[in-house]
Amino acid sequence: MSVEARLKTEDGLVVLTYEKLDTQAIIASVGDVTAGATAVFIGTTRNSFKGKTVTRLDYQAYSSLAIKTMASILRDTRNKFTSHTDQHPVSAVIRCTVHHRLGTVPVGEPSIVIAVSSPHRKESFLACEYILEEVKAKAQIWKREFYEGEQDEEAEWKSNAAP
Amino acid sequence: MSFEHPPEITVLYFAAAATATRLDSERIPIPAVDGLPLSSLAQVLATRHASTDLGRVLATSQWSVDEEMVDDVSAIVLKGGEEVAVICPVSGG
Repeated sequence: MSVEARLKTEDGLVVLTYEKLDTQAIIASVGDVTAGATAVFIGTTRNSFKGKTVTRLDYQAYSSLAIKTMASILRDTRNKFTSHTDQHPVSAVIRCTVHHRLGTVPVGEPSIVIAVSSPHRKESFLACEYILEEVKAKAQIWKREFYEGEQDEEAEWKSNAAP
Repeated sequence: MSFEHPPEITVLYFAAAATATRLDSERIPIPAVDGLPLSSLAQVLATRHASTDLGRVLATSQWSVDEEMVDDVSAIVLKGGEEVAVICPVSGG
């Protein structure tokens, strides 16, 4: 259930993996000669939360559903940044991708990488942020935070939603 | 039509629900004739795991059935064979 998964649609590639994320390869994967801009978000494990020292984050996913959810986020993103002023609609998102790591992500390492290529810079930033916020709100992925000096069994599963 | 074994659903547990039950999944029998309304499933599972805090986790969780999120819990009656997941508040990214 919390397994590696990969889904390539016409809207982009979505990957869940236990391997370290190769950020340079992910960025290169959205390259295109028609792109003037590439925006990238890299989420990394931070060493602290509310004054406590974080030793690691563990990620788990309902992979088959999370992959579908993220693919539909990429589709929504492409549609959101499509201009309909021309004879046929053209998306300002040329290529986009999201890779999320599962399992233990040590402090300082990437847990998520999102890359978007666009003709112009404005849409690349906006689309990249949109994908991130949608993934955080909807993807069936969970993070457990482990703190220094606390028992592993006490580590809490976090929630992105406001309490 | 009679069943040799009662119909069952597969319930998947993740994150806080998995930590509470110490399970990744379990099979739950379903009444053969009328099925089980999804709105009743939380009580069934909480009772089954009464010595854990699964009930508290379920109170803040959503459901998915056969890999689709459920918007209207009252609209679904489980008949057997479904894969139902407890979707506690997510924290990806």
